[in-house]
Amino acid sequence: MLNFELYKREMKGSIKLLVIFCMIITLYISVIIGMYDPEKMKVFDGFVDAMPELMTAVGMKAGATTLLGFMASYLYGFILIVFPMIFSILRGNGLVAKYVDNGSMVSLVAAPVKRVTIVFTQMTVMVSDIFLLLLYGTLLECIRAESAYPGELDIKTLLILNTGLLCLHLFIGGITFLASCIFSSTKHSVGFGAGIPTLMLVLQMLANEGESAEKFKYFTFFTLFDPNGIVAKENGALTGVVILFAGAVMLYLLGIVIFDRKDLYL
Amino acid sequence: MSVIQIENLTRDYGKGKGVFDLSFHIDNGEVFGFLGPNGAGKTTTIRHLMGFLKPAAGKCTIDGLDCWKEREKIQARLGYIPGEISFFDDMTGTEFLQFMAKYRKIGKDNRQRELVERFDLDPKGKIKKMSKGMKQKLGIVSAFMHDPDILLLDEPTSGLDPLMQNCFIELIAEEKKRGKTILMSSHIFEEVEKTCDRIGIIRQGKLIVTDTVEALCERHVRSYTVALETESLASAFAKDFGGVCDGVAVTVKAKQNLEEIFMHYYGSGKGEASC
Repeated sequence: MLNFELYKREMKGSIKLLVIFCMIITLYISVIIGMYDPEKMKVFDGFVDAMPELMTAVGMKAGATTLLGFMASYLYGFILIVFPMIFSILRGNGLVAKYVDNGSMVSLVAAPVKRVTIVFTQMTVMVSDIFLLLLYGTLLECIRAESAYPGELDIKTLLILNTGLLCLHLFIGGITFLASCIFSSTKHSVGFGAGIPTLMLVLQMLANEGESAEKFKYFTFFTLFDPNGIVAKENGALTGVVILFAGAVMLYLLGIVIFDRKDLYL
Repeated sequence: MSVIQIENLTRDYGKGKGVFDLSFHIDNGEVFGFLGPNGAGKTTTIRHLMGFLKPAAGKCTIDGLDCWKEREKIQARLGYIPGEISFFDDMTGTEFLQFMAKYRKIGKDNRQRELVERFDLDPKGKIKKMSKGMKQKLGIVSAFMHDPDILLLDEPTSGLDPLMQNCFIELIAEEKKRGKTILMSSHIFEEVEKTCDRIGIIRQGKLIVTDTVEALCERHVRSYTVALETESLASAFAKDFGGVCDGVAVTVKAKQNLEEIFMHYYGSGKGEASC
């Protein structure tokens, strides 16, 4: 099912992008966790009071009382969604569609290796990349929180929250990967792979603003990821995570089947 | 026994492009030249044999295995040079060849080193910076290094200088002696004439003729015998025009080019651009 040589090559090819995105989230995680401070909380909540629409649009709500609640509001509403999402878009396209588009896929398919094995290997790379990125984020969160506010972080719940985040990103990765498997040109692969998650995110931001736009939440999968709900261990929020995971599995399976059956002009 | 079998293969891209009801076979140990102008359907046919495209109608088999359904089994014994070569640009030639050997699981005992030396390939540089000819050589090494029994070569000499083209033709002749089954596409008659046993001519997706090289040459090569004044003039004439000298008489052969052969089979060729 997995070609180890190809896996090795692709993981090596992921390093540069992984390091860049790890650096970006390092910056945000360190700065935002550093802001957790009763005094600074007032400043933050002041932002929310001053610009309620803008702050809620990016998922930031006032009134978090615990460190984890604070993180759920200020990190998991936008930053930890958008950056891993951009990573998935770039990597998803690079794993399949780019090779078909520039013709180098020929080296992989003109060999006694099943197409299913090739595309399964690429999927494993995608999943490994997302897992590594979020694993790094989790470790960093623990280290940063423990060093600044020892004993204040509920690590067990953080792990549940990050499992939820992982499912969300596996789902987003599934969309970009599926687009990459369907389309033979980078243009279309990126168009759909980036377009659909971005559109969904915009709908989510509109829905967050509330009032008449709130109905948009029924049209975006981001509604299934409710960080505050997960922290509060609400059943609805946990169900959302399970649905995201099941959806991700379906998307990857569909990608594999489509790539196995499609015509390749190589 | 035929190794490669194509039966009623059809794939319509519209506007007369594609292949239509194509049938031919290639026997074990045979070198088959697949001739046709650009856009005639050569590459489309080869893509079907490679299992890249699913036949819309008809069937392709290699060694009795279905080219679409059992492609990975066929690939184990097959070497392929694509019409348009591209590799992983981020690798060097050496890295690519090492990767391919491991990816195909062919082990260290392969022909890589021999072929690299033979084609005077310098694989150390980044593939991105290689010239077209250098990439073509890399493609040749990659297609032959696992010593496949069956070779599908889509315009394999494009981008090679005349010296390397000859080197390649020698390689094909050797492989033929070793009993390999080879399909080689080209749009140059001379190239296939030197290496192939049998030739198939395809035009606008239809096979016009398949015949042995000798039969085609007989039909399309005219010979003239001219008498010159002195024997020394005759031998000079023979040397310049590649003729055979017999006293003052010199016999020269005039080959028709591919276009003229097409004209023979298709009249003036409707829809074909005239120059």
